[in-house]
Amino acid sequence: MKKNTHLFYSQLAITIITCAFLVIPVIQSIIAGITTNYIVGIKSGLTFRWIVEVWQLYSDTIFRSISIGIACLAVTLIAGVPAAYFMVKKKSRLTRLMEEFLVIPLAIPGLAIALAILISYGQNTAFRMSWSIILVGHVIFTLPFMIRSVIAIMSSIKINELEEGAASLGAGFWNCFFDVVIPNAMPGILAGSLMVFTLSVGEFNLTWMLHTPLTKTLPVGLADSYASMRLEIGSAYTIVFFFMIIPLLMAMQWIAKPRAAAEPIPEKEQGIMKINRHQSTGDVQELKPGENTMNKKEKTGTAIRLTNCAKTFTNGTRALESTDLMVEAGQTIVILGPSGCGKTTTLRIIAGLEETDKGGQVFFGDEDVTDIPIEKRNVGMVFQNYALFPNMDVAKNIAYGLKIRGDSKEKMDRRVDEMLAMMQIEELRHRNINQLSGGQRQRVALARAIAVRPRVLLLDEPLTALDAQLRDSLRIEIDLLLKSIGITAVYVTHDQAEAMALGDKIVVMEKGRIAMIGTPRDVYFKPANRFVAEFIGTINTLKAKVENGNLNFQGGTIPIADIPDLNIKNQSSVELYFRPEHAVVAKTGQGHFKARVISSFFMGDRTRLIVNGETAEPLKIEALGRQSFEKGQTVDICLDLDSLFTLIPTKTE
Amino acid sequence: MHQRNRFYLAMIIAPALIIFLAFFILPMARLILESTRGEQGFGIYLTMLTTGRYIQTLFYTVALSLGVTLATLIISGVCGVFLQRNNFFGKNILIAMLTFPLAFPGVVVGFMIILLAGRQGLMGSVTKAITGDKLVLAYSMTGLFLGYLYFSIPRVITTIMAAAEKIDVSLEEAALSLGASTWGIARDILIPALTPGLISSGAICFATSMGAFGTAFTLATDIDVLPIVIYTEFTLSANIAMASALSILLGLITWGVLTLARSAAGESLAASG
Repeated sequence: MKKNTHLFYSQLAITIITCAFLVIPVIQSIIAGITTNYIVGIKSGLTFRWIVEVWQLYSDTIFRSISIGIACLAVTLIAGVPAAYFMVKKKSRLTRLMEEFLVIPLAIPGLAIALAILISYGQNTAFRMSWSIILVGHVIFTLPFMIRSVIAIMSSIKINELEEGAASLGAGFWNCFFDVVIPNAMPGILAGSLMVFTLSVGEFNLTWMLHTPLTKTLPVGLADSYASMRLEIGSAYTIVFFFMIIPLLMAMQWIAKPRAAAEPIPEKEQGIMKINRHQSTGDVQELKPGENTMNKKEKTGTAIRLTNCAKTFTNGTRALESTDLMVEAGQTIVILGPSGCGKTTTLRIIAGLEETDKGGQVFFGDEDVTDIPIEKRNVGMVFQNYALFPNMDVAKNIAYGLKIRGDSKEKMDRRVDEMLAMMQIEELRHRNINQLSGGQRQRVALARAIAVRPRVLLLDEPLTALDAQLRDSLRIEIDLLLKSIGITAVYVTHDQAEAMALGDKIVVMEKGRIAMIGTPRDVYFKPANRFVAEFIGTINTLKAKVENGNLNFQGGTIPIADIPDLNIKNQSSVELYFRPEHAVVAKTGQGHFKARVISSFFMGDRTRLIVNGETAEPLKIEALGRQSFEKGQTVDICLDLDSLFTLIPTKTE
Repeated sequence: MHQRNRFYLAMIIAPALIIFLAFFILPMARLILESTRGEQGFGIYLTMLTTGRYIQTLFYTVALSLGVTLATLIISGVCGVFLQRNNFFGKNILIAMLTFPLAFPGVVVGFMIILLAGRQGLMGSVTKAITGDKLVLAYSMTGLFLGYLYFSIPRVITTIMAAAEKIDVSLEEAALSLGASTWGIARDILIPALTPGLISSGAICFATSMGAFGTAFTLATDIDVLPIVIYTEFTLSANIAMASALSILLGLITWGVLTLARSAAGESLAASG
């Protein structure tokens, strides 16, 4: 890009002038504070006399300001951090009111607040004469800054996801708060603390009204010296103030910086994954030893049963219609559907992250867990964004659920070793979470969920955040893992290939309802309705007339007797469906019908053709081999008659 | 969410809530009550709004704050976008210098202005050397204007730089590829993208200027701005009712402006310090 030099230099000039405006007086005051006589100038000599004099006159104000600052910090930490957490967690009318409160230090002038405090509490002489009245003013002024700083960080790290992760491992309210919330909000708490302390030390508007001659603070002393002392003393006092404030400012900027840079390092992804993939393809047997180390009893797992579970959110959205579902012990069931179909809601009801509407019940085996919170359900959960705790390394993440359960150090170490070996991530033991690639995070998340030997394993779109290649290889590994540990698993995804590969059974959901439950083969070959047929794979429609024991359609005729399982009754016409791979290009004259090529896509192993049977809607078919096709060419198409199917029309159509 | 967690949540909000109620809501209610406790009762508000001196002061304060806000937005906008978009030697030092005064209390800012444009100030010496006349601006409205500019610029610059960082560079590249000029890009891409940040930081700048007390207090106690008048009504005239009424008026104006800005700029106000 060509640089507009004229513009560049005029902007630079404005910036430098602004800088000069801000910095020159600072330099002047520093010089004035160490000059014997400011009017005469530096030639009168340099001296520390004024600074010594300031120390003698005003050192008490400095110590008082520091004390008030520390006390103010303590109060705002104790009151502000929990308040911020409350406001992030709970959106209620009280939260709206508190949000209004956050604008106060900017909206209501300090003078007015001080006046209000004086009128209300000024009659209490002991309080009025002590520095606690100043502290009260400072707390009201600074508390919102602390809350705001902590809220900002809590929203940016998605604290809710981390908490759900902790709860799924058995952490209760206080465990969540102290193990996950506070450590991860630390940068915000630190930034807020520095802000609060700096503001308190420099606060003047409130303090001037609230102070007494015996409770002067640093800024009050400054105002005093500016008004009644010679310029040199005021300047020297200002130097002292600068020296107090500079370290605080530098610390604030230092804190603000690393956060922007602390992003994961994805470039290692390819290399590491290649090694792991390599191992895992030849590792089918090697994964099995993990099975031996698992508790035998869990081989069978726990059955899950939902009866009459529905979910209506507070805003009235109906996420799940009344649903019954049975997952047999040790089975892997995949809930499949487009976004918004209720699949994640179903999973969260099983997990205990959402409560079902009245009347619904959740059973684990024979136990009714409907009213048991997630932390007591003993589930293992893998979240879409992993919900790994950034404040702990890999080993600590994996051991967290065991720590909550109060297991011994030896047991935790043993289990972590076992898990790292099973996931083939031994070398990551002491890594930080933000040093891991997506695939590695996924393995750690799985290890963490399994480490507690949960009754059921719940996976919420665990592969969605990964790229396609990684998804394929991890899918195979998850499949092997689930089979080897024989745990009851519920896996939510919108990817039909994942569902086909992993599920003992697939639950297809649509608009908050179960559209079909069946084995992958059933779902593919005998879809219950058009939605299922279209969602899983591609289908073609063939409209045919029933005439003299034949099906006649554009381009061809098939004797009804040739099609097994076809139940036509007394219809005069019928809609037949088939998948692209069940219609292939045949040698000339050997097909069931003829069609014209509209377009063709070479896919490598085969060629996908879009063909037109004169007036019927375009059909997608396949051609194997090396033959290439021209637009407009006529081809003979042979159908796999065993794979034709009909559908019961769905109610929506 | 289960019952027990609700109880714990209520428990942890309690300290902040108690502080908020006892030391803010209650005193503010008392302040409103107190404003009507004088001889005139509610008539104090009528007096306030019909007395020439108060109205004039209000006008000066609003005009000064608006002027400061406008000047700050222009200067900080130019500097902030410039520093965010260009890399050159010494850039970090410039940023450090521009944000350094962020933590200065109003009194110190007042003193800075005295050193710059006061009786013994730099500006006086320079003008005396050139024209023979000593230019002293510090103890007037101009001094106050400079002082407010001094503490507003660092705050607004940090907000603008953060906002400018978030602008997608490809938007500008797209505009360039379509043939837009430098001014065209500023008008059609940069300024619209910065608008929420400009509104929110402008509103904060205005509110701070309306309520600033330390700077004016240091420069001179007879400048007619609202906070100074409140202070003199309270301490010198002991007219607590009028001081309370004026405080409420001041609070209402700033709160109103901030609320307007918040609805115009969305949540970004809460994020900018």
